[in-house]
Amino acid sequence: MSSARDRIPSQPYRLPHHGIVDRAHPLGFEFDGRRYSGFAGDTLASALLAAGVRLVGRSFKYHRPRGIVAAGSEEPNALVELRSGARREANTRATVAELFEGLVARSQNAWPSVGFDVGAVNSLLSPIFVAGFYYKTFMWPAAFWEKLYEPIIRRAAGLGRASHDSDPDTYDKAHAFCDVLVIGGGPAGLAAALAAGRSGARVILCDEDFVLGGRLNGDRHVIDDMSGRDWVWRVETELRSMPGVRIMARTTVFGTYDDGLTGARTFGALERVSDHLAVPQAHRPRQRLWKIIARQSVLAAGAVERPLVFGGNDRPGVMMAAAVRTYLNRFGVAPGRRAAIFTSGDDGWRTAADLVQAGVSVEAVIDSRPDVDPALVRAAERGHVQVLLSSQVVGTHGRQRLSSISVRGADGRLARFAVDLLAVSGGWNPSVALSTHPGEKPRWSPGISAFVPGDLPRAMSAAGACTGSLALADSLKEGAGAGARAAAATGFNAGAVPAWKSSDDRVRSSPLWFVEDFDGKAFVDFQHDVTYEDVVLAEREGYRSVEHLKRYTTLGMATDQGKTSSVNGLAIMAALTGRSIPDVGTTSARPPYTPVSIGALAGSHRGKHFRPTRLTAGHDWAQERGATFVETGQWLRAQWFTAPGETNWQETVSREVRAVRSSVGVCDVSTLGKIDIQGADAGAFLDRVYINMFSTLPVGKARYGLMLREDGFVMDDGTTAQLAKDHYVMSTTTANAAGVMQHLEHARQVLWPELDVQIVSVTEQWAQYAIAGPKARQLLERLLGDAFEVSDRAFPYLACSQFSWRNLPVRLFRISFSGELAYEFAVPARYGDAAIRAIVRAGETLDVTPYGTEALGVMRIEKGHVAGNELNGTTTAADLGLGRMMSKKKDFIGRVLAERPGLTDPERPTLIGVKPVDRSARLYGGAHFLALGAVPSLENDQGYLTSVAYSPMLGHWIGLGFLKRGPERHGERLRAFCPIRGGDAEVEVVSPLFFDPEGGRLHV
Amino acid sequence: MSDSLAFAPRSPLAAVGPAAAAPVSAPAPAAAAVPVAAPGVTAAVLDGFGLATVLARKGSSQTLAQRARERFGIDLPTAPTLSAASGVAFAGTGPGAWLAMADRGGNGFAAKLMTDLDGVASVSDQSDGYVLIRLTGARVRDALSKLVPIDLHPRAFKAGDVASTVASHIGVTLWRPADGPDAAHVFEVALFRSLARSFWHALADAAAEYGFAVHPP
Repeated sequence: MSSARDRIPSQPYRLPHHGIVDRAHPLGFEFDGRRYSGFAGDTLASALLAAGVRLVGRSFKYHRPRGIVAAGSEEPNALVELRSGARREANTRATVAELFEGLVARSQNAWPSVGFDVGAVNSLLSPIFVAGFYYKTFMWPAAFWEKLYEPIIRRAAGLGRASHDSDPDTYDKAHAFCDVLVIGGGPAGLAAALAAGRSGARVILCDEDFVLGGRLNGDRHVIDDMSGRDWVWRVETELRSMPGVRIMARTTVFGTYDDGLTGARTFGALERVSDHLAVPQAHRPRQRLWKIIARQSVLAAGAVERPLVFGGNDRPGVMMAAAVRTYLNRFGVAPGRRAAIFTSGDDGWRTAADLVQAGVSVEAVIDSRPDVDPALVRAAERGHVQVLLSSQVVGTHGRQRLSSISVRGADGRLARFAVDLLAVSGGWNPSVALSTHPGEKPRWSPGISAFVPGDLPRAMSAAGACTGSLALADSLKEGAGAGARAAAATGFNAGAVPAWKSSDDRVRSSPLWFVEDFDGKAFVDFQHDVTYEDVVLAEREGYRSVEHLKRYTTLGMATDQGKTSSVNGLAIMAALTGRSIPDVGTTSARPPYTPVSIGALAGSHRGKHFRPTRLTAGHDWAQERGATFVETGQWLRAQWFTAPGETNWQETVSREVRAVRSSVGVCDVSTLGKIDIQGADAGAFLDRVYINMFSTLPVGKARYGLMLREDGFVMDDGTTAQLAKDHYVMSTTTANAAGVMQHLEHARQVLWPELDVQIVSVTEQWAQYAIAGPKARQLLERLLGDAFEVSDRAFPYLACSQFSWRNLPVRLFRISFSGELAYEFAVPARYGDAAIRAIVRAGETLDVTPYGTEALGVMRIEKGHVAGNELNGTTTAADLGLGRMMSKKKDFIGRVLAERPGLTDPERPTLIGVKPVDRSARLYGGAHFLALGAVPSLENDQGYLTSVAYSPMLGHWIGLGFLKRGPERHGERLRAFCPIRGGDAEVEVVSPLFFDPEGGRLHV
Repeated sequence: MSDSLAFAPRSPLAAVGPAAAAPVSAPAPAAAAVPVAAPGVTAAVLDGFGLATVLARKGSSQTLAQRARERFGIDLPTAPTLSAASGVAFAGTGPGAWLAMADRGGNGFAAKLMTDLDGVASVSDQSDGYVLIRLTGARVRDALSKLVPIDLHPRAFKAGDVASTVASHIGVTLWRPADGPDAAHVFEVALFRSLARSFWHALADAAAEYGFAVHPP
């Protein structure tokens, strides 16, 4: 390893003394297969610049060489693939990727290499790649789009490659609450956090960077006779000493969401917990998604420097002026040896001064303005910098990196300067996005020629550069004031608002939206390769509205959401159409402010943990018995229990059915909904929710009930038993348990608050097992012993009881879904595991057979019992053959609307049974009924099959379905046609009661 | 009978409870504000308790409150708070709705409540319907902040406060009993037993970075 370190090239562009990187802590990294070194505290971008790497990628459409433009999250160009293998991630901005030992990055969008890129031929074809070319070129024939055009465009144009492997890292989601959320840790944000923190309010300060300070790290400022960085350190130290203050670095607040009834507002934030490490520490997530609920918020998000639009403005070596200062002052990196400045405001002059101070030769400051502060000019000239006013850069030159620029002077003459760095400043765009997410529109500020926050969302204030207050003194003052006011609004007294004295800050500028008569291509949106000419074309073709401009040219639609490009684009459109910029308008910024990985949005809810799983008390036992489970909503239910030697599920299910019908079987039915209904009016309540009568049900009896929705269609069914006076327990289907509970709560609380009725779900309290088959009683006798008498006389069909067994309160119901002599035995769920084992032991000599939901389903189809397939939300009680259950003696939910003509139409498909004429034929659920010989068409449709099963008792397939006038048509032959699965069988219409139609087996 | 010996209650968390090897994760050094040896989050799966829902009968609120005072020495809470006295506690879970708990007594507690509150409240035994997990430790709030969307800061959620909320898509009732003997803040979480393993997975996941230990109750 140490010998490898020796071979790492030096850092030729690193300055000897500047910056806050940790020079005692070198880090090795790899870019495009070559090894480099940087320091702790570097970003990948600063380390590449220190190493002299200027070309870091190829552009999206034209594959033009591109370099690093910015120093923050707005970077449009320097997108790289970071890491390798399963951790590889595309489109990482090198400017925010924190350097770590062993970092591996690759340039994107270039083949075979970033230096020699075949795709750059697109640049020669650029006349056809202009705005709207997709719409124009690939219109016809339509079939070509999917097969030919799109794959080619995608291959040529994509942005990086995602890993196809499963992400090995974990992600978290968390909630945070505070009185005051401060968004941004620059001077305004630090001042706000300090003012609010001193009041004792709970404060969260978020900053996307890994060090606090914002521009104070990049610029040379003095606050209260301290360097800006010392001031940051002092404020940070005080904030960290406050127990109510939480500082969240590496955390981007990416979205402003709704405010609630209490006025607190929700924000989305992404914390990059481990992105600065090669591999996260044990148990630590890679990233954490925060939902922050803040009573008040202070937006101090700063501003993004605006590029200038001139020929060749995308050549590597052309950088934002403030970014150049950041590389000099924060990272100790000179991004060039000979520099020039092209500016439309005072900001560029600051860069010139810092470059001179760092020992970089500055050839010229080119300012588009005719008048600038004479003090700036004097200072430049002292540094032997040539000053060109009323001048513009019209072109750049150099292969793959800048070597010279062409400048048109005030007199219109062209001059050429040999430089390898051009620092550009076109003014500042305040970062207003978070103030507009809830729907507020930004406002145009003529003073700084940019959009600033308009009406702010409730409970939000803004301070500093994001409001257009670009001078440091204003940022500090506004920040402190906003922090104190926010704290006061949440009931905390901030006391004296802190104040500081800061160094002078010249921030005048005069916009230069584009350079006339430039050379080559002038880019407006670097990331999407949208040029000045594309905007001109959009205007010429009539796409003048801001929304059309955006979509036609894709301006501002890249992953940077137009942070550097959109205002320039609007301004050019305004100039072309003779309107003002606010008249052109602006598109809506939407969350997220910067990209958020899908992994973070999923958090820990991955794979099977996508949603919670519900397990019955007998789950482990079923697993031991080799059960195959099926998901029923969140529940896992045993579907069948494969026995040794069985090779397919149908064999297993048929065995289970035969065992139940010949001996005894046991099935876990704990998942069915169980609702305790108590109170003096419980019986009356049931009369109103069920179509049939319940108030006449005696204590100790159960009854089958059917309930309708308000619209008259069937909602759910099940048995309800009266356990004691005014105490019923209702069972619901597994799938509808929560819905029925909601329905009953609504009825109880809203419809009939006058009734004395209390309901609560007791589904989880009871483990319940169906014990079914001719030997069920024998099994129960052995299980219960003297605890309870189960003879037919003492405990007839539909009886229910609660009693004590093994010192436990237990319940027994004599109900049957299978059509056999059957009971359901309920025990407190803690004893569910012990109970199922006891049941099986009691049935050992009776050949007791565990059965699953599939056998249950086969048996209910054999008995013509309806279930979920039939209670499908489109069927009425009459459709199910249960119309006569609808009591005429009382009112109930759904009664009136069930009498609508459409629901009482005798032509409605009604429940029937079918069996194939050729007994070996298979039936398919979903098949439609047609008259024999009829053409399959909607007009000829007579109904459909809902449930099918192979009946081991009958030895052929059987089905339940709905057929027009079905009950009148028993004996008729039809065609059951399922074009989707290729089913086409001649069937005979029969009664849905296939097995034991007299029901004799129930009553033994 | 031989099988009566084996006839015992079983928690859905039996596999993670104190009887089994407790899954203790070491805290990640950078994350731990506490000495590395001390787990930031400690969980205990409670056992043997009695639990019941108590719903006031129509027009019986006052008699019910009186009855609760007489029988249990408890002032029934009329807000989402906890009232406790001598091993019994009532947590307010909604208008006229409480979760009543007894440290001991199992299913017998509900039976006693039915008698004590006969005619004034509808009581349903839930001793088996819920699992109760007690959480404590220096980082318990950090772990819970990943699970529940409510503010658990001591200013916002005081000892004796109750909340019905969701934890990782699972409905839970959460409360803060009196602080532990070492003044550590304690939270108790009640959730449906069928969801216990999914909840446990989410809990262990959330707490792992702070160091997570399972203790006997």
